[in-house]
Amino acid sequence: MKISYKWLIELTGLDWNPEDLGDRLTLCGTACEYIDPADQYMHGVIVGEILAINKIEGADKIRLATVNLGDRQLDVVCGAPNIEVGLKVPVATLGAKLDGGIVIKKAKIRGIDSEAMICSERELGLSDEHAGILVLDSSATPGQELAELLDYKDDFMMTFELTPNRPDSMSAVGIARDMAALASVKVNKPTFELTESEEKASDYIKVTIEDEVACPRYAARIIKNVKIAESPYWLKKKLVLAGVRPISNVVDITNFVMLELGQPLHAFDYDRFGSKEVVVRMGKEKEPFKSLDGADHELTSEVIMITNGKTGVAAGGVMGGFDSEVEDGTTNILLEAAYFNASMIRKSRRQLGFVTESSQRFEKGADPNIIEYAIDYAASLLQSLCGGEVLAGIVDCYPSVIEPLKIKFRPKRCNDIIGTELTSDKMKQIFEDLEFTVTGDTDFEVTVPTFRPDIEREIDLIEEISRIIGFDNIPSSNTNIGSLYTPIHYEDKFKKEMRTVLTGVGFDEFISHGLADSKLANLLHTDRPQLKIANPISEDLDIMRNCLMQTAMTVIHHNVSHRSLDLSIFEIGKTYLPPDDKDYWAEDESLVLAVTGNTQHTWRDKPRPRDFYDITGAMKAMATHFGWGDFSFEAKQFSFFEKEISFEISLNNKVCGLIGKMNSKVSKKFGVKQDVFIAELNLAYLLSLSNKLIAYQPLPIYPAALRDLAMIVKEEVQANELLQQVKKSAGKYAESVEIFDLYQGKQIEKGKKSIAISISYRSKESSLESAIVDASQQKVVADLVKKFNVEIRDK
Amino acid sequence: MSVLDEITRLQNEAIERIGKSDSLDSLQEIQNVYLGRKGLITSILKSLKDLPNDQRKEVGASANKARVAVSNLLNEKKESLSGGGERSAFDPTLPGTQPQTGVVHIITQVIEDICNTFHGMGFEIARGPNVETDYYNFEALNFPPDHPARDMQDTMFVEHDRLLRTHTTPVQSRFLETHKPPIKIITPGICFRNEAISTRSHVAFHQVDGFVVDEGVTMADMKGAILAFCKAFFSDDVKLKFRPSYFPFTEPSAEVDISCFLCEGKGCRVCKYAGWLEILGCGMIDPNVLEKAGIDSEKYSGYAFGMGVERPAMLKYKINDIRLFFNNDNRFLRQFR
Ligand SMILES: [Zn+2]
Repeated sequence: MKISYKWLIELTGLDWNPEDLGDRLTLCGTACEYIDPADQYMHGVIVGEILAINKIEGADKIRLATVNLGDRQLDVVCGAPNIEVGLKVPVATLGAKLDGGIVIKKAKIRGIDSEAMICSERELGLSDEHAGILVLDSSATPGQELAELLDYKDDFMMTFELTPNRPDSMSAVGIARDMAALASVKVNKPTFELTESEEKASDYIKVTIEDEVACPRYAARIIKNVKIAESPYWLKKKLVLAGVRPISNVVDITNFVMLELGQPLHAFDYDRFGSKEVVVRMGKEKEPFKSLDGADHELTSEVIMITNGKTGVAAGGVMGGFDSEVEDGTTNILLEAAYFNASMIRKSRRQLGFVTESSQRFEKGADPNIIEYAIDYAASLLQSLCGGEVLAGIVDCYPSVIEPLKIKFRPKRCNDIIGTELTSDKMKQIFEDLEFTVTGDTDFEVTVPTFRPDIEREIDLIEEISRIIGFDNIPSSNTNIGSLYTPIHYEDKFKKEMRTVLTGVGFDEFISHGLADSKLANLLHTDRPQLKIANPISEDLDIMRNCLMQTAMTVIHHNVSHRSLDLSIFEIGKTYLPPDDKDYWAEDESLVLAVTGNTQHTWRDKPRPRDFYDITGAMKAMATHFGWGDFSFEAKQFSFFEKEISFEISLNNKVCGLIGKMNSKVSKKFGVKQDVFIAELNLAYLLSLSNKLIAYQPLPIYPAALRDLAMIVKEEVQANELLQQVKKSAGKYAESVEIFDLYQGKQIEKGKKSIAISISYRSKESSLESAIVDASQQKVVADLVKKFNVEIRDK
Repeated sequence: MSVLDEITRLQNEAIERIGKSDSLDSLQEIQNVYLGRKGLITSILKSLKDLPNDQRKEVGASANKARVAVSNLLNEKKESLSGGGERSAFDPTLPGTQPQTGVVHIITQVIEDICNTFHGMGFEIARGPNVETDYYNFEALNFPPDHPARDMQDTMFVEHDRLLRTHTTPVQSRFLETHKPPIKIITPGICFRNEAISTRSHVAFHQVDGFVVDEGVTMADMKGAILAFCKAFFSDDVKLKFRPSYFPFTEPSAEVDISCFLCEGKGCRVCKYAGWLEILGCGMIDPNVLEKAGIDSEKYSGYAFGMGVERPAMLKYKINDIRLFFNNDNRFLRQFR
């Protein structure tokens, strides 16, 4: 919403400067976005009188005009067809900055020095008109500043961003009303005189409303013998500074009244209306309609139509029709002022596919009871500015009058909600300043005028009080609400600790929004359903992911393609999978861990490829931190993993994830050409194992006995099998069993490996005698030989 | 005086001057005088060829001895002056073996910061699903049926009339339904809008909402809590401006600006020379919202607020492209250790 600063000042009589006005309105809910000087494109533009026009040799389109600028004469090259000797015109002089980025500089045009320009309305930011130059009033004085002549000096274009709940602010009077309430003054609403002729309007037009819900009120006036012309400057200026293009006096008047009062009006050419009756009804399916911009529409039953009883002449509240549009030759006017249902206008304009100044006002909620005032005001202007003859009476169809709402208001409740100690009198004053009427003392009954359809409840009235006193005047309290103890949910603590552990072992956290590409999802868990987005923003974000591996691969691709080849990354995030109960898609959280590239290269450590064990190592770090016990890995074929390295992960005998080496073909489809190892774990399960109280174990009193055991074994025997066997065989004194060496190579027979295990024996009761330890050790060896056919190596 | 005597004299003289010298500059000068290209001892060595054969060997040996003695002394003195003392082969300047550590994502860090601040003020964390119903996302929050946000233009829908939540406020709808006042909650999480991805806007973003419901909760309490948060999160001398605004689920509603922490309110490019930054929306929970959740709005009142996470993070860390957060480029992530 744009409006002239001076217009608002005229309506209120307040002396606020533009910044002040903008700030005050912003703080009461009408946000002022920009304040632009009205004459921003008129600096250095002065009135010139054309003294002579000469041809330029070799040019047929441009001519040379000699202009009198008051204190000097200047030759100006001009291409406009409408220059004539004696005309007063705007001349942009050296340095002037015009609309569209034009800056007047010294230049040579066809060998002639040029340092000025005669302007059209477009270059001055006045309208889109640029076919000819702007011709000024003959009374203008050469040398006078154009901004001063047109009263643009010291005026500003105020741009407001309105909230959707305030239709009343879509007019100069509406904004002035808030200003007046802030200053506790009254708005100077426009006054006018209207002389009606003897002839009755009702002899010329009849109004029928067929759908009273869509159109509760329709009023018409007839104005005869108008003379279509340009509007006077003062009127054009108000339109221009409201961002509305001046067209002709009749149309400009309807727009002007709309801008001032908020009531959209429409002027029909009465002689081309097609009948003597207005019928308001809903459109018919496929009914044709040509709007005044020349576009052809096919209607639906959701469009409100103004008809002449036969065919549509306007889309009610949205746009007029082509055939009854006011033209240069129009003499008789049918003036419409109506009130339409807000949500039906919204549907109407959606069907038609455009938003107009009129539809914006109706769909937010106009005032059904301003219609008489608005139509009379417009009629008086048509009379005084277009020489029209206003016929007697308004033909007003208003079957059920919409009464102002009465709302109960408790001043105490108001103070209780906003935390103030305002007096009842103060609140009453505020309501009256807003043009509401108040009765009652302790509790009020507030009558809210129909120009404020947003106010329906007591809380809406409380809001009015709060915004007029200003939020800055509401105190700031330090009362603590709630209990002194605030729980931290273990889930949050768990995730935080998990991040600490994982970043501590070198993994970077990434986060995803979860939107993913179904084509890439099809490369992974082909058996999992996909939650499809009905209206995706793009093809590659058309589902919610069903696993985290997909987004991990996408992140790896991004980094690798930016030459960050060495990555250890993790994410804690949601997957979207079919529901257990039927109400929701299950949003379970998972942890994904992925590594690729090499380990870091320092002067001491040579790089090696990041691999499977970097992930299981990180898992072990978490297991140690949270006390989970040991993970186990069962071979299981996943289509997206390499055959050899594809496992299901279990913890405490329950499957809780998967791990493997990404199949190189799948990786390539993600754009990744290097090896990727990846694991995904069920977070809820890990969480369920984690929140355990640690019970203190007394520190050992007696020393431990350490024994090492080196053996050669077939390479397919897994480390964990050996460890489990050793633990079993070593007996109750075995405190820990660890692998401390692994070797395959020259000295070892092909297909075999050398493994070294250290066993720590300890008793809580006494120092262990070496005989006991030796016996245990012998049993270990015997069992390993028997079970795995190991060959014990001498130390 | 014989050449040999002259050598002895020069050597003694040099030794004495070295002893008295107290700066590297003067040592350098001494070096030039005696051992430089045209130095006194150097000259003797250069002139050996002019001596008779019988003297050449003796003088040469003596001059060379002097040169070595002076040179060694010079070096020793230089080292002691440069504080070096004795130097061993151990090199402490080789880079320490720093184990590789990772970094927590910047958005996680900012959310944690916000939550910690509110936790200190007695707020508990609550969460809800990202795939929501129209009821919790809109209807329970008093959005009128034809509100533009309910449109396909603004919201992404999935099957069974579900949608991707457009704010974290539906957690409020759910929580109010299942809990009795006093309630004091913050709800961090991700939300979605049907918007094209650009440097300034994204289809997904994070938000932290908060709300408080109890008997006698006022706008003054809301202002106090928001001021306390902004002081803790931005800076102790932050100033706030509350502008009336409109949200369907609060009334009265306000938009909160903080004084720009980059220019201290003087005006800069980031605050568009206004000196203020829009940071948060808030308001008193609309009685309709409380009633829909079965809470008596005559007895209880409450306030709610909501803020983005990416926006303040962008302001604070001068990030000019919102897409960086979801790109997860580790050259970006690792800047926020
Ligand atoms: Zn700033």
